[in-house]
Amino acid sequence: MKSNIVFLTVFAVFFALASAVYTVWNYLAEGKIEIVGTVAIGLSAILAAFIGFFLNLVNRSQGGILLPEDRDADIDDADPELGHFSPWSWWPFMIGVGLFLVFLGLAVGIWVMFIGVPFVLISIVGWVYEYYRGNFGH
Amino acid sequence: MSTASLSPTTGHVSVSRPNVVAVGTIVWLGSEVMFFAGLFAIYFTLRASSPELWAEQTAKLNFPYALTNTLILVASSFTAQFGVFAAERLQSRRTSWNPSRWGMIEWFYLSYALGAIFVAGQVYEYAKLVSEGVMFNGDAYGTAFYITTGFHGLHVTGGLIAFLLVIGRAYSVKHFGHKEATSSIVVSYYWHFVDVVWIALFLVIYVLK
Repeated sequence: MKSNIVFLTVFAVFFALASAVYTVWNYLAEGKIEIVGTVAIGLSAILAAFIGFFLNLVNRSQGGILLPEDRDADIDDADPELGHFSPWSWWPFMIGVGLFLVFLGLAVGIWVMFIGVPFVLISIVGWVYEYYRGNFGH
Repeated sequence: MSTASLSPTTGHVSVSRPNVVAVGTIVWLGSEVMFFAGLFAIYFTLRASSPELWAEQTAKLNFPYALTNTLILVASSFTAQFGVFAAERLQSRRTSWNPSRWGMIEWFYLSYALGAIFVAGQVYEYAKLVSEGVMFNGDAYGTAFYITTGFHGLHVTGGLIAFLLVIGRAYSVKHFGHKEATSSIVVSYYWHFVDVVWIALFLVIYVLK
């Protein structure tokens, strides 16, 4: 994680400098500030700084210890918990269908959205609570 | 086949691994930064191309009203953070009405209420501006104004739904554990992000004009 933090910090500094150079150069060449590039490059700096800053907090809160799997293990050794992913859930598919109807509604006619929106809401609730009910209630 | 050493140099140290849900949320929020970068770029470009229109239309904005609404949203970030503190001590419900003994649920309800006031306030503001001739399909200013604040409003609405979902999770478990605490914490990350974006939008739209 150390190297990730270093990389992201370098990116942040680079984009900040690039944004400044871009702004000044445009001003000298065109006589006005080209705002789109300035904003886009400047916020790229924020993007990198933001993730780097958070990883730094994570690194510090876990004591900066190099994890075994980062030190000398193969990828399939000492698998860290990657999160909980349902192997059989249909809900993500249902959310996809619902969102498809919502955006289709934007394109062809608002009435399709009236079918799509309840679909999305029901699917999201089903997905979020899939492991909180029935067999999996805890 | 493993090529790793059979005898690791350090013995059994208990390592606390980073929470991948939290890291993933932050990376996603990074992509959201770039989404709003596009919106800010639209706003600034249109503003630079028609300054007279901006001077005319921004005069219709109600600054004290927007400031009040902004303060409500900022307050909701603080209440959400108190909810996170409660979630971190794995306390989902209050033990008394004293706010220092509130659990995550109470704080998130309060944050939800404040966020809902903000969205309702925006809807009212939109209605007022439309009646004064700032329209989505009216001119460049209307487009820029509604698309930036509107996308932000949609994000806030999504955050409100997320608040309800994590409150529901807290109700549906017997023991509020780390999994539930994690979902509360990442919702608060999202909420803080949306709040910070609004502060930037507020400064650009209502202060800078």
